Order: sequence, then structure tokens, then C-alpha cells
Amino acid sequence: MEFGTIQREIYVEAAPEVVFEVVSSPEHVTEWWPDEARYEAVPGSTGEIVFGERDAGGTVMGFTVVDARPPRTFSFRWTHPVGETAVEGNSLLVTFELTPSGGGTLLKMTESGFREMGWEAAVLEEQYKEHISGWDLHLPRLAPHAETLAAGS
Amino acid sequence: MNAPAAEQVDDDLWSAIGDPTRRRMLDLLLSEGEGTATTLSRRLPVTRQAVAKHLVVLDRAGLVRGRPAGREKRYQVDDAQLARAVAQLSSVGAAWDARLQRIKRIAETVQRTRRDPKHTQDQQD
Repeated sequence: MEFGTIQREIYVEAAPEVVFEVVSSPEHVTEWWPDEARYEAVPGSTGEIVFGERDAGGTVMGFTVVDARPPRTFSFRWTHPVGETAVEGNSLLVTFELTPSGGGTLLKMTESGFREMGWEAAVLEEQYKEHISGWDLHLPRLAPHAETLAAGS
Repeated sequence: MNAPAAEQVDDDLWSAIGDPTRRRMLDLLLSEGEGTATTLSRRLPVTRQAVAKHLVVLDRAGLVRGRPAGREKRYQVDDAQLARAVAQLSSVGAAWDARLQRIKRIAETVQRTRRDPKHTQDQQD
């Protein structure tokens, strides 16, 4: 388990141009993620995303476009307070990489910054092997409880 | 849309658990049931004073609870809080799985609606 970075890959039966629009344009992003999104899909654009209702206890977070190269790469930082400059340490970095594959697109998502925000990967280095076996031992015991908690959150 | 709860990383919790020595300490406390700064430092390549400081951080994050035992405090892991930390970590990954499924569905729908008019035209030609 690598907790410093999350990586996912999914195959989409759509052209990279279409997938790029869906992962980058605020109109589409609100279809799969926040309730509101204000930014321009160009590098350096700063904006915000809103979960829930802005004026009714919703959560407003900063959103800064890092890179936008259609139809191959779109990356942004989020979770920093609105108005603050997004840097390593106050935000998470999400990168979408699109690769044409067959008639569709292989979409790769990477989210990193957990380590910089205080989370050191629980894995990695050889010298932590002993420690890892400890976690592996204890995680199964915790899993059922964790699921209950997650379901209730 | 899904709430960001899974995403809201509890800074104290994550930084507490982010340190390798503190994770070793949690492991030792889990496997032995409890421990003090003295007993933990015997099993770790750090001083008793350093262990005591780490215990304060873990305590502040709610990951361990201490009770007085002579001149020291005897600590044990707070199972519920540790489970919460584990749940947060795994739920971040699960949240992305769900989002990517939605991205796939939306993109494929857009693609189909763009293709279909063309197909109709092709057939008419």
C-alpha cells in the first residue's frame, strides 16, 4: 500500500479530446465531482470548487490549474484555502494523463501530496519492512470496524 | 454529487501517523497491548525523551490514551481513532474509483451522441 500517492487507470471508449473535456471543463467536472466549479481550464487559473451549497454549510476549496495540454494532460491542485497560493504542503496535486488506445482512451489519474501534507508513505523503504508486516497484521483486524466507520461518514 | 468528507484529511491525524518512528510505536503498542516511554524506547533506536515527545503527538491526535503509572504514563492505542485513520486513507482511493467510473460514463455518452448524427448521415449517403 502506497499512501503517499494514489494511482488509478481506467479505459474509456471515447476519443482523448472528449475525455479531456470531461476531466477538465468546469461544466463537466460538476457532473462527476463537486456541486460547483469556478475556474478556467488553462494553466495558472485559480478558482474554487464547492461541495454542497455555498451559503448553506457547503465546503469551498481552492482549485488551481497547473497544466492543461489538450488532449493529453490536465493537472490541478486542490484542498488549499481559497485565495491562498497552491503549493506543495497546502494542497493535493491531481494529474490526468490521457493516452490514445484502440478506439478510446486510457485515462490515468494520480493524486499526490499526502506525504507533503504530513503523510509519509507507509511503505517504500526497505528498512520499514518490519513495520509494514506490523500494519499488515493489524489492518485485517481493523478493516471491519473501518468499514463501519466509513459507511457512517 | 459526493461529499468531500472522504477527502478532508485530518491534518493532526495524518501528520501523527506520518512519522515512521510513531508508526513503529503504534505497532509495538498494538502487539503488546500497552507501553510506557521507557518500555517503548527499549525496543526502538531512539531515546526515552524522544519517545515521550512522540507519545505526546500521538496522544494529541487521539491515537493513544495514557493513564498515570508511577512516574510515567502507560499508553495504549485508541482502536476507534486508528480505525478512523485507516478508513480515511482507504476511502480516498474508493472515492476516486467512483469518480473515474462517472468520468467514463459521461465521456462515453458524449462520444456516442457525437458519433450518432454522423452515422445517420453516413447511412443516408
